[in-house]
Amino acid sequence: MAERNSAVRDATGDNLISRARTEGATDEGGLAFRKQKRSRWSMGGHSNAVLGFLSPVVILVLWEIAVPLGLLDGRFFPPPHAIAGTFWKMVKSGQLFSDVYVSLYRIILGFLAGAIPGLIIGLSMGLFKPVRWLLRPIISATYPIPKLALMPLIILMFGFGETQKVITIALGTFFMVLINTMAGVLNLDKIYLDVAKNYGASRRDFYLRVALPGALPLIFTGLELGMGMALLLIVAAEMTGAVEGIGYRIWAAQAVFKTKEMFVAFILISLLGYIFAEALSTIQRKVIPWKSQ
Amino acid sequence: MATDKIVLRGLTKQFEVKDRTITAVKAVDLSIREGEFVCIVGPSGCGKTTLLRILAGLETATAGEIQIMRNDPSKPLNSMVFQEQSIFPWMSVRKNIGFGLKCRGVNRRTIAEVVDRYLSMIGLQKFGEAYPHQLSGGMKQRVSVARAFANDPEILLMDEPFAALDEQNKIMLQEELLKIWEGSRKTVIFITHSIDEALILADRVIIMTSHPGTFKASIEVDLPRPRRIAELRSDSRFNELFTYLWSILREEVRKAKVSEGLTFRDEDEHDDHSRTLGDESKLVL
Repeated sequence: MAERNSAVRDATGDNLISRARTEGATDEGGLAFRKQKRSRWSMGGHSNAVLGFLSPVVILVLWEIAVPLGLLDGRFFPPPHAIAGTFWKMVKSGQLFSDVYVSLYRIILGFLAGAIPGLIIGLSMGLFKPVRWLLRPIISATYPIPKLALMPLIILMFGFGETQKVITIALGTFFMVLINTMAGVLNLDKIYLDVAKNYGASRRDFYLRVALPGALPLIFTGLELGMGMALLLIVAAEMTGAVEGIGYRIWAAQAVFKTKEMFVAFILISLLGYIFAEALSTIQRKVIPWKSQ
Repeated sequence: MATDKIVLRGLTKQFEVKDRTITAVKAVDLSIREGEFVCIVGPSGCGKTTLLRILAGLETATAGEIQIMRNDPSKPLNSMVFQEQSIFPWMSVRKNIGFGLKCRGVNRRTIAEVVDRYLSMIGLQKFGEAYPHQLSGGMKQRVSVARAFANDPEILLMDEPFAALDEQNKIMLQEELLKIWEGSRKTVIFITHSIDEALILADRVIIMTSHPGTFKASIEVDLPRPRRIAELRSDSRFNELFTYLWSILREEVRKAKVSEGLTFRDEDEHDDHSRTLGDESKLVL
């Protein structure tokens, strides 16, 4: 296999074609590339996985030992086994699930409310110069304002309800998605716009067949950053006017010095972040099959 | 067949660079017959690409007139094959070839039939679902040519489509282009910096001068069709024409060398895109 792969690698285009024509091994060219890459990684894959697993375990063990030894203050850093106990208690009482449910609902709603307009405006700004000129100053002026600084205003406007939380998250996501989407379109080689124009693409074709797919790689970067922003903002948004949610749990735990619950909330946030990241990269692989990896 | 398909009168294109005006194309007059294959040859930076982009509707002329006779209003006026890699990386080969038809709202079944026909014509039947990153440079350019032909335009505009290819690939693609073209007999304007290529493909070769770009000579290529590239190379008439064209072009190339390196900005959709007039590949002879 190795010999064949290198042949494919070194082959000029013509070589590849004649190979495909004579052997009928059309798909193999592409496959061979991929196999070669994968095998290179998988050689060290096993030991890499062990290493990746080892480091958190070592830290947990050290932590567990350090508390009784007095090296770590157990009031601020309850030992892992105690956190696990609290975790389990919260699972049994159902509190954990309702917290996750409430926060997840706010995050997803806010994320969509921010990402969808961000995407549409970002594409328009990337595609059309007048739109860019019109909106860029506003975006540039409002983007640097920390969304946390806007929260008091949002609370004044919308009170302490769900709207306030959803809007806070939406704002954070909006800018991330918008700026990256616009950059994605602007980074597109100008030739693709020339082709679209020359081949009579309608405005709709420009959006859906050229700008959107072409900008997808950067759009996903924007979505990932937006997701990070949403997780950050949910904690702040649930600081006030909430009775449930992961963010709320952290502040509530602080008020009564229940650090174990606080750590459970940390774990949940981290898990959510991990799940979102994985979900996004799975979707990304599905919708961007054309990216050579 | 004597009808004029394309008529240009006094076509001029000027670019404003800072406080200077650069004339890329100056007072060009041209008539091209229906079904004629015309090659425009000229030194780097002589404005031939600009001329083609004006015809493609991607730039507007500063002055002058363009007339293109339409036979069938339902057909697109022109389709361009670009020099650089221009097939969409995010579309499969099939989608790329069918792009123009899709934009025109042709029904799916017809698109599939046309795409199938061109896929087999360019020998990429098995690559229909492949994405461009899986193709070699020659295959990508085949797709680009197929995309233009599949769109079935009134005229085809080709901007040095094979310039970036290696010699073997170039010959194969020239042969394929001749084959496809002989089946359709579309009006073609083909830009190249290679006399060789122009003689292989064209019914008529037009030589352009640089700074400002104007037409210097128009030479009928009376080589019989269908042409076979291998035989042409040893054909005495071919060599005669080659020597003749080179004698005209040589002086222009020398002149162009002196004023090389002129850079200017073009006012297009994108504000941060500058085009170097001298960025076409060097004359290879």
